[in-house]
Amino acid sequence: MPTLPTRRFGPIPIAEADVYTFPSGLPGFPGASRFVLLPDPGGAPFQWLQSADKPELALVTCDPLLFAPDYTVVVKAEDLAPIGLADVAKGFVLAILTVPSDPKLTTANLLGPLIFNPGTMLARQLVLAKPVAFTRVPVFGAAAPC
Amino acid sequence: MLVLTRGKDEAIIIGDGIEVTVLEVKGDKVKLGIAAPPSVPVHRKEVWLALRDANIAAADSKDVAAAAELFKKKQKNGPAPPPAPGPKP
Repeated sequence: MPTLPTRRFGPIPIAEADVYTFPSGLPGFPGASRFVLLPDPGGAPFQWLQSADKPELALVTCDPLLFAPDYTVVVKAEDLAPIGLADVAKGFVLAILTVPSDPKLTTANLLGPLIFNPGTMLARQLVLAKPVAFTRVPVFGAAAPC
Repeated sequence: MLVLTRGKDEAIIIGDGIEVTVLEVKGDKVKLGIAAPPSVPVHRKEVWLALRDANIAAADSKDVAAAAELFKKKQKNGPAPPPAPGPKP
């Protein structure tokens, strides 16, 4: 089994079948299109999106419904075509978290959720029709707006 | 930068499958129609920049272990109960 070098977790064994490809990449990270999802070592319901191309790149993500129960992702079929997702129920959504120096001020990006298709192992970052402020929705504190 | 002058209902073609049409010109606003293959993401620039900046900030996340503890505590306390069903006043 090949080993993936990572900065946060050291070398981790991965199977090629576990690698998600983002055909359009992720804005801000040119050259990084292949990622694996890793459970949080701390036992939180977080999943790490670890780049298979850049060992130093790892994003912490979370099911947005865990802190924003009313969050809905409205997508058009053409948004899902690039990842071959015909049936939305067969995919899953994760929101990228940003943890600043004070972890109580953690925010989630609900403007650009990630959608994954485990059937094709393709994924993409969506851009929803919401105000730009939705890139920084507080995770702790008042109920998140949706 | 390539500069082209186009009028209403005129278009430009980019590459193989991207067509940008001027649909309307009104004052200082131009309405554009963009036809692109689904694999080509099209965004308003300010939205794309916000997304890029949010992604870069997320990659620089600090004490995720502390955030994880806060999250577990929040979950243990449970989410606020849903409002009781019933007729609205």
